[in-house]
Amino acid sequence: MLWRLIKNELIKIGGKRRSFIGFIVIGILMPLILWGFKVGGSQVHRDMTEQLQENFIVVGSVFNGFLATYLVMNFLWIHIPFLITLVAGDVVAGEGSAGTFRIYLTRPVSRGKILLSKLLATYIYTAALIIFFAIMSLGLGSLWLGTGDLIVIHKGILILPSDIAWMRFALSFIFSIGVMLVVASLCFMFSTMVNNGIGPIIGAMAVIFVGLAVSNLPLDFFVKIRPYFFTTYIDIWKEAFYDPIPWREIGMSILILVIYTAGFLGVSFVVFSRKDILT
Amino acid sequence: MSEVILRIKNLTKSFKDRKVVDSLNLEVTEGEVFGFLGPNGAGKSTTIRLILSLIKPDSGDVEIFGKWVTKHRNGSLQNVGALIEEAAFYKNLTARRNLQILANLGGGTNRRIDEVLEIVRLIDRADDKVKAYSHGMKQRLGIAQALLHNPKLMILDEPTSGLDPHGIKEVRELIKSMSDEGITVFLSSHLLHEVEQSCSTMAIINEGRLVVSGKVKDLLKQTDLFTTEIQAQPVDEAVSVIRQLDFVKIVAVREESIKVSVSKDDLPNLTTVLVEKGIKVSAIVPHSSLEDFFLFLTKGDDS
Repeated sequence: MLWRLIKNELIKIGGKRRSFIGFIVIGILMPLILWGFKVGGSQVHRDMTEQLQENFIVVGSVFNGFLATYLVMNFLWIHIPFLITLVAGDVVAGEGSAGTFRIYLTRPVSRGKILLSKLLATYIYTAALIIFFAIMSLGLGSLWLGTGDLIVIHKGILILPSDIAWMRFALSFIFSIGVMLVVASLCFMFSTMVNNGIGPIIGAMAVIFVGLAVSNLPLDFFVKIRPYFFTTYIDIWKEAFYDPIPWREIGMSILILVIYTAGFLGVSFVVFSRKDILT
Repeated sequence: MSEVILRIKNLTKSFKDRKVVDSLNLEVTEGEVFGFLGPNGAGKSTTIRLILSLIKPDSGDVEIFGKWVTKHRNGSLQNVGALIEEAAFYKNLTARRNLQILANLGGGTNRRIDEVLEIVRLIDRADDKVKAYSHGMKQRLGIAQALLHNPKLMILDEPTSGLDPHGIKEVRELIKSMSDEGITVFLSSHLLHEVEQSCSTMAIINEGRLVVSGKVKDLLKQTDLFTTEIQAQPVDEAVSVIRQLDFVKIVAVREESIKVSVSKDDLPNLTTVLVEKGIKVSAIVPHSSLEDFFLFLTKGDDS
């Protein structure tokens, strides 16, 4: 039964244009960026190796698909949540605004099951978008720009050999999916509270921006409360490239993210089960 | 004796400080077409949403097929089909896909989807997106989705709202065919003559409270507010004839017609008397009394 409900939600998500915006943006942007790297790659290589050449002998090109993906992840990461919220914000609220709940919720299926199916469909969409991002960045990048060692700046210069870099990217994208599920859960919670698809997007993005400000501004008070904000861990994917991988810190980060997710979902289920369908 | 399949017991619901449904009690028995009347804002839609568990009551409960909605929601709604106000669908999906989505919630096969599309005469447009549908087609699709799982109780909230006369006729025929198939129909409508035509029993609510309920026929008899327009020549003579009759009361006299209050049973007698007295009767136009009755009960109209 639950699978049929999830299938319903996936059909509904697939029937909306906004669901494809994220895929279209990534599908257009990534080849453009990679093309830019391909064309201007030699300049990037020169800039990066200029400093390295004082201490290292650089043989061949450090610039490859891995580095391109790593750089893209760094500067696109803050934008991905917005693409997630486009669907997560609409999945419950959209039905409220369209009035479809007054048919859908008159069926003999509990609201809890219906909400669970919506949540899982949102998670599937979120994971699919990140996987698509991985394919378009790492997959296309490695095909187009080739592979090789990955140079990462973390407490100095870290060079990850090609075979290890693959694994680190896989781990990084798994962490990314996890973080984006938290973002989706936050937006999903807002979606249960209102009957329009825009409010939850604005709400979730506002929380993320405020959280990121708290997580990044070097003010004493913010530094104290920073560990308790989930946005502090939004770039947990970077830790997959550290050496050694800081599993203890990652474990704590995951725990905090799980607590936040549980909170968001708890509120979602309570709100939705008590919600009066008036539209 | 027919079984009560829908029982509303002391149902109360407030929004902020306003009581929208106030200690409402109703019973609907199996097989009847039950008309649920009230002016705008009377609490009809809220009551229907309470019945269907779309909103939670402050107190009271609804029993459907022997199960209380607040405790056994899924069980009580198992045999209920519903269309609330304007039918709302996933407009970017086809009609068939919409019905498949609802069939996935339980009850309804692909074959049944074709059957209900056939019933509402949308089978030829089944694979069109709903956004291309007219309002009337959406309402028919709304009835199709309500029929999908072979319900025994059909709850229709203003099903003819916004429809043109042709659409109204179609919906009315669908309601009749449902009734003929033994489906109990709970019909909320502001078209009072429609309730008079379609329903065997009715209840009128105002400001969330039950004003009156009973058999439509009995209620009309009680009120004796059946008004009829008689177009006759000469009018003066017709008026003097009617004034001598004790079973009819003149309401208004116009240039070429007389408006009278007469019961349905006495209307043939009135016609006979006028013809026997040599009055040329060109038309007798009955006006639904239910409107007057409705206004009388809900607004205190003493006319």
